[in-house]
Amino acid sequence: MSLNPPSSDPPAPSVPVAVVVVAILVVCGLTVTATAAYFELKPTSASPGTVTVTDDLGRTVAVPADPTRVAVLSPSITDSMVDLGLRDRIVAVDCYAGAFGGLTADYTASQIAQWNLTSSMCVQAAPQLSIEQLLNATPDLVLVSTIVSESAIEEVSTTYHLPVLVLQPSTLGGIIVDVELLAQVFHVGAPAESLVAALQTHLAQAASVGANLSANGTALPTVMLTYYADSAGYWTYGPGTFGDSLISLVSAVSISAGQTLPYPEMSGPQVLVANPWGIIYAVGFGVNLTIFQQAPYWSSLSAVGADRVWGMDSTLLTEADPTMILEGIPQLLGLLHPTAVG
Amino acid sequence: MLAGVGATGTLPHEGAGRPASPARRKYLAWAVGVGGILLVLLSPALGTVAIPTGTVFAILLHQLSGGFLFSDPCSGTGVSPRLCSAWVEIVWTSRLPAILLALTAGAALGMSGATLQGIFRNPLADPYLLGLSAGGTLGAAVLFVFQVGQSEANVALPAFAFLGSILTGLAILLAARVMGGSVESLLLTGVALMSLLSAILSILLLYNPVGSLQVDFWLLGGLGGATWDRVGIAFGGVLVAGVMLSLYRRELNLLQLGPEVAHSLGVEANRVRTRLLLFSSLATAMAVAFTGIIGFVGLVSPHIVRRLVGPDYRRVLPGSALVGGVFLLAANDLAIGAFPQTALPVGIFTAFVGAPFFLYLLYRRRHAPGGAPP
Repeated sequence: MSLNPPSSDPPAPSVPVAVVVVAILVVCGLTVTATAAYFELKPTSASPGTVTVTDDLGRTVAVPADPTRVAVLSPSITDSMVDLGLRDRIVAVDCYAGAFGGLTADYTASQIAQWNLTSSMCVQAAPQLSIEQLLNATPDLVLVSTIVSESAIEEVSTTYHLPVLVLQPSTLGGIIVDVELLAQVFHVGAPAESLVAALQTHLAQAASVGANLSANGTALPTVMLTYYADSAGYWTYGPGTFGDSLISLVSAVSISAGQTLPYPEMSGPQVLVANPWGIIYAVGFGVNLTIFQQAPYWSSLSAVGADRVWGMDSTLLTEADPTMILEGIPQLLGLLHPTAVG
Repeated sequence: MLAGVGATGTLPHEGAGRPASPARRKYLAWAVGVGGILLVLLSPALGTVAIPTGTVFAILLHQLSGGFLFSDPCSGTGVSPRLCSAWVEIVWTSRLPAILLALTAGAALGMSGATLQGIFRNPLADPYLLGLSAGGTLGAAVLFVFQVGQSEANVALPAFAFLGSILTGLAILLAARVMGGSVESLLLTGVALMSLLSAILSILLLYNPVGSLQVDFWLLGGLGGATWDRVGIAFGGVLVAGVMLSLYRRELNLLQLGPEVAHSLGVEANRVRTRLLLFSSLATAMAVAFTGIIGFVGLVSPHIVRRLVGPDYRRVLPGSALVGGVFLLAANDLAIGAFPQTALPVGIFTAFVGAPFFLYLLYRRRHAPGGAPP
């Protein structure tokens, strides 16, 4: 190894930190201004008319007066669109690794065959939105849930000038609000009115079951609603979540209502102590009864011994769409209060 | 090769393998240069949407000429004007910024790695392994988790990342002084800090599941969120860091001779190290803020450069920037090419190259004359 002579450069000047900070700000500002001014594309030509609506995040969005090419990046919104007879306007749906996972979980093979799906309709929405796939579908409106990151929503809106509506109801009543919003955007009066009426009827029936139980002095059952389990325990819905409100609506008490996290994993001993009267577990997307049976203390739970354990299609428990109200709530009521609902 | 002796009696700046002969160096430098140019030229044709390569170049020329060339860049493809317009946006507003961000972030990490190796006189120093990237990540993740200044994320992200990086860097500098700065103690300090920062991040994410999804993917490193604005900010920050680091190239060379020798030649080692750490943290933060954690670029690039141009920091700094940029772009192209439907995070691919390289360097240290004891 030879020793290289040190550089003969003069000593570096002492640079105050404040000067560096100012230099950073100036250089960043200039480069941003220059690049934005030079490279920014002109906004895509807007439709002749737009309608301003407010989405579930409180964002005010100008949408085309009559959107005909819609990218729907959430299975629950896809269901709402189909329920309203708007399937033909969907030009892209969410998928992962080139597979239309959400559709195969929600629809039969014969139903899917009617969609005429092509690879260009497949847009990866999560964990990171594929901007390229979305643009390639050439939508004039994008409907998303919060599974798409806020930064991606902002990027699609501001950089690519595509209107993005976020539909993420936080309550069961919010599902009805979203149906009405879609009806407003797509001008579907009659189908929306009948759907909203059906949804309100189902919610009223659930409330009336609760009122009857209360009038009779019947104690509400404690329930564990779990969507996954592992060797440490059971993943449940904490307070303020959709799953928690679902349990309340069907006149039951969630054993995880007192948890601090929104999606807590309750340990085996915790569940054993909570001793739920019944257990409802989600089935689908690779999750089945075996997974829960291998979780701690499963066989020791009194609900298991009494055979009050029920599996439900996970889409009915996790996708906040009309199907959850029309099918999920009646199923839950039938399981938890069989005598009350007849 | 510089023969400054490190704290453990090892040569602090050995490259990977024997020093190349001048003729071979020239050949390798040309190969890297030509390969880099080819990569930059071909990269716009790669993406999750298949666009004919000829159309991609037509779009680029159309945009660069302000519409003068190729008035219809999609002619001959048979696609509708609407789809052609979408392709123009994909190439110009998505792919090109991603390429430039890869070059910028790679340059930042390369320079940062070279500087850290110089500061600590340690061939295994790297912004990822020392925890600077993790510190920057924690700083930036606060934005996601608490949604602080989300609307001003372009400015807030690098600012928070810089804060996290520099605090971590100062902690490492302090630890290096206290524990003597040997290879082992430095790496273990980095590991301990990374674990601590990861634990803090986990607690934050546990209570914020919505932010968790974004941060989880971001932790793997990716170029998906590249925009012209972000390229501009990152480039500006990296330019400032690069200029400031280059002002200290003489001191970096002298530091390799040991603190006593450097001091006798007029270098205030502690002050210079702190400033170098400040600027390498700035470079790291600019990369982390917009690409997430991308490991090993800062480790691999300076070693390649030393093989090509020798240990003089007048060449190592700009060379590491160039090689780092090309390395990250190549990894990104590989990520897209291997899994075009999903666009896997580029950090996965840099780890596939970097982790074995890191093990190789450790192996060489153990088996080099005067290396670390087994």
